[in-house]
Amino acid sequence: MVEPQAQHDKGMVFPFGGGETGKLIRSFDWSETPLGPISGWPQSLKTVTNMLLLCPIPIVLLWGEDGIMIYNDAYSVFAGRRHPQLLGSKVREGWDEIADFNDNVMKVGLAGGTLAYENQELTLIRHGKPEPAWMNLDYSPVVDESGKPAGVIAIVVETTRSVVAQRKLEQSEGRFRALTNATSDVVYRMSADWSEMQPLDGRGLLADMERPSAAWQDFYMLPEDKPALQAAIDEALRTRSVFQHEHRVRQADGSIGWTLSRAVPIVDEAGDIVEWFGAASDVTERRRNEEHLRRVVHELNHRVKNNLAMTQAIAAQTFRNVDDLKEAQARFGSRMVALGQANDLLTGERWVGASLIGAIGQAIRPHYPQPERSLVTGDDVQLTPKTALALTLAMHELAMNALKYGAWSNASGTVTVTSATYSGSAGDRRLRVEWRESGGPQVQPPTRRGFGSVLIERGLAREMGGQVKMEFLPDGLVCTIDAPEHVEAGS
Amino acid sequence: MRLRILVVEDEMTIALLIEDMLSELGHEVVDLAMRLPQAVELAQRADFDLAILDVNLDGRKSFPVADILLERGIPFAFATGYGAAGIEPAYTGRPVLTKPFLMDDLETAIATLAASPAIS
Repeated sequence: MVEPQAQHDKGMVFPFGGGETGKLIRSFDWSETPLGPISGWPQSLKTVTNMLLLCPIPIVLLWGEDGIMIYNDAYSVFAGRRHPQLLGSKVREGWDEIADFNDNVMKVGLAGGTLAYENQELTLIRHGKPEPAWMNLDYSPVVDESGKPAGVIAIVVETTRSVVAQRKLEQSEGRFRALTNATSDVVYRMSADWSEMQPLDGRGLLADMERPSAAWQDFYMLPEDKPALQAAIDEALRTRSVFQHEHRVRQADGSIGWTLSRAVPIVDEAGDIVEWFGAASDVTERRRNEEHLRRVVHELNHRVKNNLAMTQAIAAQTFRNVDDLKEAQARFGSRMVALGQANDLLTGERWVGASLIGAIGQAIRPHYPQPERSLVTGDDVQLTPKTALALTLAMHELAMNALKYGAWSNASGTVTVTSATYSGSAGDRRLRVEWRESGGPQVQPPTRRGFGSVLIERGLAREMGGQVKMEFLPDGLVCTIDAPEHVEAGS
Repeated sequence: MRLRILVVEDEMTIALLIEDMLSELGHEVVDLAMRLPQAVELAQRADFDLAILDVNLDGRKSFPVADILLERGIPFAFATGYGAAGIEPAYTGRPVLTKPFLMDDLETAIATLAASPAIS
């Protein structure tokens, strides 16, 4: 500080140094400003000017009532394209967009007061258009030779970059908070080695974890599922990559559900895992559906195989001791159709059962010559799927027989099927179904028992747990089924 | 060797087929059970050498019947559309006939059962 003063006194240039701005100040025509030529400046102004010029942080001096601006290189960078016009200008005119702000600065400063602002936002035009800028501003008065404030010195540290970064971080955190609130997932944090869980908001799905817990596995997991979970954890720790595991959990209401849990490692600058951050979604419903589907497919497979076995059985019976292969093939085809229709009947009732009258009607409808030559009447009862299937096949055999040899083989014969429920001698509920043909040709008892007879007499009787009687009366065939109304109880 | 066999099968057409197969193979069907209560009762009291056991009896599993047969030391084979996968682990090792099956399969299963100590 002594050196430049000494130089000036010896007629050396003022101010000393100060880089580009120092050069500008030296060559500037100060006589056009209220400060007048440099040679006439008071010592206090000169001292402060040279001090700020040699300072690396942005400083501006606002001298006199008008606040004539003298600043350093660092400030010129801050000023952007407003430099160099700002130099020597009146602060209220130089920064006309913030004239009010600077008016206050001048009034306070020249009255001897100081001002300090942290991250003060001001809209400045420094690069052709108004842009928000943030800065730390410190203003203090500068006293001249008279001992009174003659100017204001300002240290201007721009903080725009850090403010913007901070705001972005806050927005990002805000979005993250919104996301964790918006998702129905349970969000969790685990210690680096997964031994301890941070407090957890169970979102109503899981019970909340109030404080860090090392017993979280016992709390949420079933004992038998822990080894698989630990294996998934160990794998994630080994590969330092995403943890993913679908497992059962104890839910907040005490029931057992399923979650799909995923977590990623959070690493520090050294690359060490600090903690794991994860989310668990409720997949209970999906697991339930999958399990249901699996069972349905399994059951379907079973039924298909059962139907194949039935087909095999019917084929074996149909083609046993046949004289006429063509006729046997036709019978086989017809029996397959009956089996198919029986399945329709059962699936229509979702395999929970079918009505007796419905099953009989469907079995004989494809065969009668005219609707009025068939009458199905009486008490209706619900049959189990199996009984409905057996009865359908039996009725199909009776109908085929009627069409070929019996009441439907001429122009006028009729079939009446009557069902009745009644109380047995033991007080049990019983069911009687009678198939009665009349008006057909004279009946000849068959010489050989065909599949129809075997199915009805051996199969249906045992299926229904009762007795089946086939009587080839002269008027027509009468087939009587007498069985417990609820087959399960009887067999 | 003519064996006396209990058939447990809830599907009447399939029951007829198995009965026919067995008589063709020269065996005697001592009885047929189509529902679980009947099967349990026959398994407890009937006199027979071995049993062919359907797994699903009108929606009920026939494993209680298998337990009685194990208790009595009577060999048996399962006959099921579920295949071996539908058999509970406690009964693994028992012969399983997967429906539909051939008479040869039935014959092989019976031969396996007949060779077991309970019969010879």
